[in-house]
Amino acid sequence: MSASSTPAPLAAPVAARGRLLRRLAGASVLRFIGRRLLAAIPVLWGVSFLTFIVMNALPGDAAQELLGSSATPAEVHQLSVKLGLDKPFLTRYGDWLHDLITGHLGHSLASGQSVASILGSDLPVTLELIAYAFVISLVVAVPAAVLAARRPGGVFDRVSLVLSMGGLSIANYVLALLLVYVFAVKLGVLPAIGWVPPGQGFGQNLRTLTLPALSIAIPLLCFYARLLRADLVEQLQGEEYVMTARAKGAGPWRVLLRHALRNAIFGLITVVALNLGTLLGATVIIEDIFGLPGIGHELLDAISNRDVPVVEGAVVVFGVAVVLANLLADLLYSALDPRVRYGGSAN
Amino acid sequence: MSAGDSAQVPSTPTRAPGLSTPARRGSGRLLASAPRRLAARARLVALTAAALGAAVAIAACGSSGHSKSTAASKPSTTASAPGTPHPGGSLTVLELGGYAGAWPAGLDPATNTNGAADQDQMNAIYGQLFQLAGGGGQGHVIPDIATGYKAEDGGKTWLIYLRPGVKFSDGTPLDAQAVVFNWKRDLASPCTCKPILLVNSITAPNPTTVKLSLKVPDGALINQLLVANFNWIASPTALKKMGEQKFKITPVGAGPFEVVSDTLSNTLVLKKNPNYWQKGRPYLDGLTFKATADDESALETMQANGAQAYDGMATPQLVPQFRAHFTTTEEPATSPYDIQLNTAVPPFNNIKARLAIYYATNAKLIDQKLFGDQFPVVQGFTAPGGLFYEPTIPGYPTYNLAKAKALVKQLGGLNVNFFTLSSPVNQNFMTALQAMWKQAGINASIHLYTLAGLIQQFDTKKWQAALQTAGAWDPAAGVGLAFRFASTSPFSGVHDPHLDALINQAQAAVNPATRKQLYFQAAEYIAKNAYGPFLFPLASWNVAAHGVYGPGLTTSIPSVVVNTAPLWQDVWMK
Repeated sequence: MSASSTPAPLAAPVAARGRLLRRLAGASVLRFIGRRLLAAIPVLWGVSFLTFIVMNALPGDAAQELLGSSATPAEVHQLSVKLGLDKPFLTRYGDWLHDLITGHLGHSLASGQSVASILGSDLPVTLELIAYAFVISLVVAVPAAVLAARRPGGVFDRVSLVLSMGGLSIANYVLALLLVYVFAVKLGVLPAIGWVPPGQGFGQNLRTLTLPALSIAIPLLCFYARLLRADLVEQLQGEEYVMTARAKGAGPWRVLLRHALRNAIFGLITVVALNLGTLLGATVIIEDIFGLPGIGHELLDAISNRDVPVVEGAVVVFGVAVVLANLLADLLYSALDPRVRYGGSAN
Repeated sequence: MSAGDSAQVPSTPTRAPGLSTPARRGSGRLLASAPRRLAARARLVALTAAALGAAVAIAACGSSGHSKSTAASKPSTTASAPGTPHPGGSLTVLELGGYAGAWPAGLDPATNTNGAADQDQMNAIYGQLFQLAGGGGQGHVIPDIATGYKAEDGGKTWLIYLRPGVKFSDGTPLDAQAVVFNWKRDLASPCTCKPILLVNSITAPNPTTVKLSLKVPDGALINQLLVANFNWIASPTALKKMGEQKFKITPVGAGPFEVVSDTLSNTLVLKKNPNYWQKGRPYLDGLTFKATADDESALETMQANGAQAYDGMATPQLVPQFRAHFTTTEEPATSPYDIQLNTAVPPFNNIKARLAIYYATNAKLIDQKLFGDQFPVVQGFTAPGGLFYEPTIPGYPTYNLAKAKALVKQLGGLNVNFFTLSSPVNQNFMTALQAMWKQAGINASIHLYTLAGLIQQFDTKKWQAALQTAGAWDPAAGVGLAFRFASTSPFSGVHDPHLDALINQAQAAVNPATRKQLYFQAAEYIAKNAYGPFLFPLASWNVAAHGVYGPGLTTSIPSVVVNTAPLWQDVWMK
């Protein structure tokens, strides 16, 4: 079927997809991606070095933390030598960096396990949690923002404003306890703690993740809803293309969804991408509360144990995730707005 | 029967160890502590506010004394009659994350640096040579994989008799050679989980006897085993087959349960060991340990039936909530708080300054204001749940504000640098003591440190005063008397040869009566020289859902190290 014969409602998405594919396939986009990935290298190096400095500055080391306060200095020294903690700071960092460049993340000082295998088993849990939280937040925030922007100052707008303020005001670890109390203790519909891998039943897996994901998603969706609502109202009230669309007879919903939303979504995309770092931070607390075996939980334990290789590995993974999320956001700009070009001139 | 007698089945209390108990969140928190659980910060804020309130109240009340209980009150347990045990069921037990719920180095006895806190997991997998059972308030040592012991040569040689026919869960025999292999491996490990012993030799005269030859007598050996990795015997065959790295994740022992899956410091799933030596045990088909973020999370998780037991609940303010829903058993406390004073440097190289602290400290009032008068105020390093407990010590300087003021005046004022390990409970303590001492004219600047920071303070040798716990179930084991009061300990502020001699003699003596007498003398000597006032021990609580029963879970057993160790093979559920 030719493009010209595509039914009218599908024509625009298909065309947009085609444009996206063409842009992604274009050399300028690849150059852009390449440049961004190259630029990420010094960023990741800086983050890892800074983390190493901070971990080094913390009082105590893995040997002391693992052996506890009843250890004699000789015992601590013996373990320090065994773990290589007696080497100079730069030597230890150099060794770690060398391992990283050669594809190894080292071994945990506490358990002796390979950091890659530890993070490999933790990463799916954290990724699923974050993805689930994003899905919840966006699925709720976007319709809520659209409904609120449809009639600014209306009942829905005011109610959503109050709820959003409430959601934004509550810390996610407090929210977690509240959600557990309501949904696990009182209603008994969701588990309070634990993790079921998807392989043991996807439904059970989602049940174990729902409260953790909600704990992260609720403050997020409140923020996203208010942000998008403000952008939508601004578009609807101040942009000429909206007036043009209305003049051409487009209905209010069509103007809102097909025109204003598309332009207003840029701010949301930027914030979502930037939020990933914050979100990864939130997983540290939430995974601990809900007993999820993810990277956040691992990171917390590793910091407690001064387990530098695991901390560094987690930080690198988090860093890569943030870099990739921001790159994806930039590519989405291009997909959503034909005026945006990377590596070439802008129209 | 004393530990010094020949014994096939010891029937009287011997002794054991401890790093410290509910102080796990306090000064006695020795293992893998550090900045855990960010969520607990909320509680820290709340408790800090409570502490400030309490400090104001204490300052206002002065020496007068009665207040309403703010926390739980007796009785210590709400257990109903259990009936006859029957097999079956799977139990999920919560353990505090970052502490008893942390096993970052795995569960190999030789390398699990958190083993003293992980007794529940280790006991379930390995069983124990000897175990501490309840009864008599202070518990008593009973054999498990061992059948008894015999001390010879005044406590320099110990014979440990093993139960014949015991097999590891992999089917290989647990015999004397296996014990010798494990003990030698433990001693070669840098882990502080090994017992502090001066060993001459470890041999296996026959398949069911292990002979331990020491360079100096040690009358507390059996009790020291309870806190050390010597008590857990790993399968040498499995260890060699798997290698250390794999073994520490999926260890093989001869305990009532074997490992199904192990996610470090998160979830440990166990199932019944079909080769367990005791027929009909364990009652449970499955046992799962899960880490929980804090006591509040544990309460909600249990209310949601996400778990049926919680070992080591340590927030007194939550006891009523737990008690309203579950069987909540107060476990006998063994390690009192004490205020360590560094007698090597000013101002506490002067006995007048030390006495001023004694006279200015009203432990009873702190107990009332902060803990609802739940805990027994003590005058020595022993507590009601521990061995050799002495409720009063002759000559102990008790609270006397007038005397404290007079001494401070004589000294021309008293400024104290006062520190401890950072925790909500300790924050409360420190704030209350600061307010209390202020009434006597003592100015205390308080500092809370992480574990590493705390150790650094001791390392300076210039510290002045510290809030710590002292003592253990057996004063000769774990964070016992020597840890806080012997010259050789880096964590002691006392350097007194006479006290050293008393401590050493009390540990070496095989006869319990002799040991008791020597510890009493040590307590008197500490009081006479005002080496540091004692406050009271904090208890912890074990919580079980209704219909779950077991020794140490729904009955009292003193804690040997951190928490009470339930006897998992005897735990059952309706």
